[in-house]
Amino acid sequence: MKNIYFDYAATTPIDENVFKEMSPYLQEKFGNPSSLHFFGQEAVFALDKAREKVATFLGANEREVIFTSSATEANNIALLGLLQGKENPHVITSSIEHKSVLEPLNASKAEITHLPAYKTGIIKVEDILREIKEETTLVSIMYANSEIGTLQPIKEIGEAVKKINEKRKNKIFFHTDAVQAVNYLPCRVDDLGVDMLTISGHKIYGPKGVGALYIREGTKISSIFHGALQERGIRPGTENIAAIVGLGRAIEELKKNNKKRTKELRDKIINTVLSEIPQTKLNGSRENRLANNVNITFKGVEGESVLMALDQEGVAVSTGSACASHSLSPSYALLAIGLSHKDAHGSLRITLGRLTTEKEVDYLLEKLPPIIKKLRKISGK
Amino acid sequence: MKRSKHKVVIALSGGVDSSVAAALLKKQGFSVVGVFMRFWSEKQNRCCNLAAEKRARTVCKKLEVPFYALSLEKEFKEKVVDPFLDAIEKGTTPNPCVICNKEIKFKLLLDKLSVFDADYLATGHYAKIEGGKIFRGKEKAKDQSYFLWKIKKEWKNKILFPLGDLKKEEVRLVAKKQNLPTALTSESQEICFVGNDMYNFLSRHLSSFPGKVVDSKGVVIGTHDGLFHYTIGQRKKIGLPGGPYYVLEKDKEKNNLVVTRNEKDLFRKEVVLRDMNFLKDVSFPLKIRAKIRYRGELKEATLKKEKLIFLSPQRAITPGQSAVFYSGRELVGGGTIK
Repeated sequence: MKNIYFDYAATTPIDENVFKEMSPYLQEKFGNPSSLHFFGQEAVFALDKAREKVATFLGANEREVIFTSSATEANNIALLGLLQGKENPHVITSSIEHKSVLEPLNASKAEITHLPAYKTGIIKVEDILREIKEETTLVSIMYANSEIGTLQPIKEIGEAVKKINEKRKNKIFFHTDAVQAVNYLPCRVDDLGVDMLTISGHKIYGPKGVGALYIREGTKISSIFHGALQERGIRPGTENIAAIVGLGRAIEELKKNNKKRTKELRDKIINTVLSEIPQTKLNGSRENRLANNVNITFKGVEGESVLMALDQEGVAVSTGSACASHSLSPSYALLAIGLSHKDAHGSLRITLGRLTTEKEVDYLLEKLPPIIKKLRKISGK
Repeated sequence: MKRSKHKVVIALSGGVDSSVAAALLKKQGFSVVGVFMRFWSEKQNRCCNLAAEKRARTVCKKLEVPFYALSLEKEFKEKVVDPFLDAIEKGTTPNPCVICNKEIKFKLLLDKLSVFDADYLATGHYAKIEGGKIFRGKEKAKDQSYFLWKIKKEWKNKILFPLGDLKKEEVRLVAKKQNLPTALTSESQEICFVGNDMYNFLSRHLSSFPGKVVDSKGVVIGTHDGLFHYTIGQRKKIGLPGGPYYVLEKDKEKNNLVVTRNEKDLFRKEVVLRDMNFLKDVSFPLKIRAKIRYRGELKEATLKKEKLIFLSPQRAITPGQSAVFYSGRELVGGGTIK
């Protein structure tokens, strides 16, 4: 067996149907949607169609969806665009958000409250309620964590925020980064009670370089980019039509995700590793986690060494989020849920996907225990 | 696990030497894994490191061997850069490459061999290793065995130096022939994290205390802008009329720079060492050849424990530098000059 992929949370391959639908827009249907002529109209048509698909999936109005170049850009637009011009805004977020939420907030002038994620990796709605004050403008909580896969109580937060908003003048807006959730969880914005929601193309078997942001009607987003009027001027710049078409189609293909089967394979990994390899620990809640996420600490080894040893066997896993692998410190999400630096460094993320087979899982489970044993022996632990 | 050929991890710097070493190993039939170590550097130098990493990656792609980049900035800062700055602040002239080889390059990669199921660690050093002994490289002017004296004796049977029998021009030729992307990279002479401007690097990281320049009788003849900017034997940039003057000593207590016009004052026969390390079993007194700086020449000497006595006086024996011992061409060990 050669080169097995267990890093679907980092990125996914483009689905065959998605690829087929995108291809014409790279060559023969290359028009600029801002052009009046036939070529331009072909492109606008495709853009509209993709927007329709995303809107349908979210149970939203087409006007409420804008396309971006990435989920990072969508998060920046949502957060900075909402905060721009507000005086002394207060934002509530969690300590385990993606960098593309934490960093724009850090760059803003807002006062930020980072909620704890506890050992479970799940924040508490009551913590949000306690932190809300007069100046609170925005709550941004991710739907599912990219590293430990834990699910946040978005619907409960949405309901709670809605209740509070009924009694106050300055509305509190609620944003969720749903990048990791889209594959396996319902994302109808009214059910969730969110005002903004972020999606990424390449996490759902679509192309890289495209994201989408849902903005509820009536949510005022100032432009943080300046240019022409594409995407209502919120995201100026010629639309990446092929990628947007791909994102639209990827949404339609979500039904291919076999959540039940993925969960079974996930549990097989968790159960086998925890029972067969001593001194291991699952990070984050076992019940409330993504169907495809395994995050385990192996005491006394470095996750990076395990990663490279598995890579030599043709098995690709991750030590955290791919975006964090350039930084020196271990995963802040793992630290936030109470792991020591050492244990955080000894953690591995294994994420499954549509193409994962039981045979692949068995191969991983055959290779992993001896590697851990060997590495522990070397480090003398 | 059965393997037909040996596996080796090669430390790649993005330079021509380690690239050619990798190519040679591949040619010799080894199964090769390339590793680039990300070391600490100041913000303004990061782009150079990225470019080096890219070259290393490209070489591995070309050789069709797996490549990994390891982030060791933190370890490097703690084990190499901070001690380097401490030593400078104390008035000595350290060899950070010696420490890096011992604490980072060899140590951490040897630790990682099992990760790759590898048998050996290779580097692009100009040094030779054979029969459990380390020798000077073929080309005298390029020999890098000087920087290896501190590594542990037991590491020797896990190390390969593929360039041991090559001259620099031969290495360049291999790189050119194989069309390696590093064929035309320029020679790195400086300490990797300092670059070519030591003065300003030190000024950024240490606070300097200007003081007096005195002659060997203690007569004040000028001022200096911080002792750590000077090294023993230095002639340039002293800035006194009526020279040339040479740095004779750094009087840390009084913050005085002691200079002399008489170069002969700089010569001494005896050197006291600390933190000695030997790569083979030895007994004292030991007749060896030694050098007291990388660019220095090998001179006859006798080692009596931590006392190194040269046959003839040596110029500018500099605290912090390494005194490295050889028996013939074989590297015996070394110590840090007190």
